[in-house]
Amino acid sequence: MATTPDITIQNLRKTYVVPERDTGLGAAIKSLIVRKTRDVEAVKDITFTVEPGEVVGFLGPNGAGKTTTLKMLSGLLHPTSGDISVLGYTPFNRNKEFLQQITLVMGQRNQLIWDIPVGDSFERNRAIYRLPTDEYNHTRDELVDLLDLAELLPKPVRNLSLGERMKCEVAAALLHRPQVLFLDEPTIGLDVTMQRRIRTFIGEYNKRYNATVLLTSHYMADVEALCKRVIIIHHGQLLFDGALTELVNRFSPHKTIVVDLDIEQADLSNYGDVITAEGNRITLRVPKSETATVTGRLLADLPVIDLTVADPPIEEVIEQVFST
Amino acid sequence: MHHLSLIWTFFRIGILNELAYRINFYVQLLQSLLSLGTAIGGLAIVFSHTDSLGGWQAVDILALLGVFMFVGGIIRLVIQPSMAQLMEDVRQGTLDFTLTKPRDAQFLISISQVRIWRVIDIFLGIAVLLTALIYRGLDIGFTDVLLFVLVLFTGGAIIYSFWLMLATLTFWFLRIENILVIFQSMYEAGRWPIGIYPHWLRFVLTFLVPVAFAITVPAEALSGRLTTESIVISIVLSIFMLAFSRWFWKRGLKNYSGASA
Repeated sequence: MATTPDITIQNLRKTYVVPERDTGLGAAIKSLIVRKTRDVEAVKDITFTVEPGEVVGFLGPNGAGKTTTLKMLSGLLHPTSGDISVLGYTPFNRNKEFLQQITLVMGQRNQLIWDIPVGDSFERNRAIYRLPTDEYNHTRDELVDLLDLAELLPKPVRNLSLGERMKCEVAAALLHRPQVLFLDEPTIGLDVTMQRRIRTFIGEYNKRYNATVLLTSHYMADVEALCKRVIIIHHGQLLFDGALTELVNRFSPHKTIVVDLDIEQADLSNYGDVITAEGNRITLRVPKSETATVTGRLLADLPVIDLTVADPPIEEVIEQVFST
Repeated sequence: MHHLSLIWTFFRIGILNELAYRINFYVQLLQSLLSLGTAIGGLAIVFSHTDSLGGWQAVDILALLGVFMFVGGIIRLVIQPSMAQLMEDVRQGTLDFTLTKPRDAQFLISISQVRIWRVIDIFLGIAVLLTALIYRGLDIGFTDVLLFVLVLFTGGAIIYSFWLMLATLTFWFLRIENILVIFQSMYEAGRWPIGIYPHWLRFVLTFLVPVAFAITVPAEALSGRLTTESIVISIVLSIFMLAFSRWFWKRGLKNYSGASA
């Protein structure tokens, strides 16, 4: 495998200088004259690469430095130190050829124009990206088809629901068929169906164009469905970079066993930690190394109707990661 | 070429945007006619007491009023709304979308908003200007017209640069609407020839808020008052202001992205 990575980040750091003042009127007046500032290290020493066509989940709690990193990758912020290369370009130079090949979607902010039909906002992006008419029409029709936008195009944005608007936002951001996608919480605030819709679409776009996707999301369902690989940062530092399955193995020393018994209210506390007991269905947590033994004992000792062994939910694993 | 097609697209969107609120057209028409009416009324009152004001005849001041409305129309058509949008975008973080586009960001933000019905002011301005010229018996030559267009362009460039610099301040101080309000009232002073104001105010209106170059100088071109000195200063200043405001804008962007820290 001698491909060049689409994204390379080396020892990346970003320090913000933020004004600081105490609360109260006196402090506010004082700050007019003497401005105290404080350095905040949003990103400290992050290194990773992303290969072409990869979909990587970029995870971390609020304030971990995800958005700061995405902004440095898309050329919006200047790194304090370290190297970044995206498609061979240094993002901060905001080279036109570079910008033509990337896109940034921010779930919390909109670029579509409020009062005019969606289709006209698309036209605006066509003009900005200088897309030739046939190429533009082709991509637009494809996106309209994949996201089911036909009925939305003539409507002004203000008349759309949040989910519909997000579908249009995503489409508008992809009209120039970018190679690298930076998606910052693209499904935030959407209902489950719409989340799934956007998620499936991102996966489809990735397959169709072999596009590279770096995605942040608070919804683990997004990550599980799309990303084979996750990068986790916390307090601006890299905590984990690897396959989602490996994350579970490494950070969760437990497995969950769900048993359905033929008897009511059995006490299984000497087999493992009882998480829930509803009627004759009991969920246990056991250390990974003991899974086989416990399963064997359960089957031998009790009238088991059904038994399943599973990894704990990914949310739980992530929580585990951040607590270490 | 590509810039022109983009400008056209933004204008088209401006029209679409305003069509969403059609009542605006009538409101704008009414507002423009009212302000024209008051302006002419004011002129009539002043010139019922005197024949000339700072050496300007009534008809010259009418031409000046035409220029005042025309330039004001252009400012309110695209410059002012676009700059207001810039401040909003900085505050809301939506400027990020503009900065990730493969086009010159200054160009994009400068034409981002078009309040199309403001063309009413532009047309009324032209009409007033033509009326004044016809009144005077169309006594201007071809060179005067050329010079007029030239200093109108340099004046426009100076005013645009000035606005851009004001709006760029938003990268350091998030709330600067008040400064824009001050500019608006200073601009109002431009409906009279700069020469009638006291010295200090004349200085302010020439160099601090360059209303003089945008309105008085072009109007001078039409009444044969234009001095070579004014032409040269206009050209030099416009080039300087365009270059300086661009530098300042880049500086602001650096501050925005944390590159200057």
